Amino acid sequence: MTWIDFVNLLINGLIEGLVVALPALAMTLVMGVNRFPNAAAGDMMTTGAYAAVAVQLLTGWPLWVAALGSMVITAMVSAGSYQLIFRKLAGRPMVSSMLAAIGLGFLLRSLIGFFAGHDQRTFDLPLVRAWNFGGIRVLPTDLAIAAVAAACLLVVFVLIYRTSFGRQLRAVADSADLARASGIRAGGLMLSLWLLVGALSSLGGVLLGMKAVVSPEMGWESLIPAFAAMVLGGIGSPVGAVLGALLLCVAQELAVPLMGPSYKLVLSFVVLALVLLVRPAGIMGRVQLVR
Amino acid sequence: MIAYLCAIGIVALIYCLLALGLNLQFGLTRLVNFGVVAFFAVGAYTSGLLALQGVPLVLCFVAAGVLAGVLALPIGLLSLRLRDDYLAIVTLGFSEAVRISIQQESWLTKGVQGLPGLPKLFASWGSGVSDVAIFATLLALVALVAWGTVRLAASPFGRLLKAIGDDEAALSALGKDPAWFKVQVFMLGAALAGLAGAFYAHFITFITPEQFIPLITFYVWMGLVMGGSGTVRGAVFGSLLLMVFLEGSRFAKDWVPGVSEVGMASLRLAAVGLALILVTLYKPNGLFGGSAGSAK
Repeated sequence: MTWIDFVNLLINGLIEGLVVALPALAMTLVMGVNRFPNAAAGDMMTTGAYAAVAVQLLTGWPLWVAALGSMVITAMVSAGSYQLIFRKLAGRPMVSSMLAAIGLGFLLRSLIGFFAGHDQRTFDLPLVRAWNFGGIRVLPTDLAIAAVAAACLLVVFVLIYRTSFGRQLRAVADSADLARASGIRAGGLMLSLWLLVGALSSLGGVLLGMKAVVSPEMGWESLIPAFAAMVLGGIGSPVGAVLGALLLCVAQELAVPLMGPSYKLVLSFVVLALVLLVRPAGIMGRVQLVR
Repeated sequence: MIAYLCAIGIVALIYCLLALGLNLQFGLTRLVNFGVVAFFAVGAYTSGLLALQGVPLVLCFVAAGVLAGVLALPIGLLSLRLRDDYLAIVTLGFSEAVRISIQQESWLTKGVQGLPGLPKLFASWGSGVSDVAIFATLLALVALVAWGTVRLAASPFGRLLKAIGDDEAALSALGKDPAWFKVQVFMLGAALAGLAGAFYAHFITFITPEQFIPLITFYVWMGLVMGGSGTVRGAVFGSLLLMVFLEGSRFAKDWVPGVSEVGMASLRLAAVGLALILVTLYKPNGLFGGSAGSAK
């Protein structure tokens, strides 16, 4: 592997990492506040991607408008799933919420498969040539993906760390009882959280669809990487989720010449298992969250 | 019709065996295994590959159970350090890693083409009779495992396992080390899944990686949760209910005209998803279960 190959893989890994960071951040927010791994996060991405495809097909609007539309739709689906399912499972064993999340994932995926078919789809995007800097190739589309993902992450971080919404959210994450005692009303806060989480996942799905193709299985396939990123960064740490996603995806890309692309998911699993064994609190995590 | 019923019965008993294995892990010991299908797959491929080399089927089945059990050792050891939600995702990831490895390592497994022409169990007895014989063998095995589980649950060892599920900290405080018991139970459940895999391989006679998707794991979970986890009765009746559900949707196709085969598969997946949601919401202890954790 020459250094040019290395740089190309590095760039690709960073872009993928920024995309995976979105669902990883969504999962870590839910994990921090609602205390269960939202296994439907991947299929929420799929929902977002297909919502954008549908909006584009029905209206012919440019992709960025369709993406905004899909964020609204997926946010509603996500908030609806909280209202109808996960709100009622609060306080029950974590496995109940996880099983319900898996069920929700199956339901979303199969409805998409039923109505949209199983063929791969692509967004209506202009074809552009990659820029070539002496062997280092950069696709303008990839740059746009990275910029949008980074901007979105920035907005979420401002929301979490600079607004009263974020303060309340972090208060609930630290101690739900204490937060309630100090007058934070959980109902509206939770709905806002799930709206945010849905919008995040949706954008992740659209960006993933831009980078590869849109298919009913696309989100499910990002579930393990997103979870590995979340654990690597430290559960409940938003900054950690982003760092974890970047590290994991760069590692995955750099491993492609050695193991081939099919083993990416296996690598995610290995990283996940090793992190849990060696440093269960992750890079940025607090130790008390883990047994 | 008899042949059809026999085939359904065999598949139902295979799910029963898987559910009984999961019941040991989750029902008794609260070990959340979202990777049941991995051990099922390892059992099927181990037995299938050995049989193609001419190894006697009895040895193939033993190897399937042993290898699946041994493969559960590292995951079981990992489970000692993980909270149940982490373990759930780790086992799910493990099952996908196993499936992808089977798909990729085509030098061993023939990859996506799968292994056709596996020897059928009791093939020498003729095609109709062999199915009945497989059914009877499975029935005996399931009965044995069910009896064993009830005995186990009532034994001091079983009470220890239940105590682990209920309150591990209290148990440690009493000076018992729950670690090794958890690992043993995890391996035992996995070995049963491996055996189930061997039965599957030598009944279907054709296995591909596509048959071992995570959906299978959640079929088993659905059966166990519907029936009532922690109870042998729940595991058995839940699996039968699951079978009615899976086969019933096949017949439902005749009532819902204009839906393609692929569309029907989607609808079936949707029904599984909906069932998982509804059962966890409204019947968390299952149809036959008492209070959670009681093992009768």
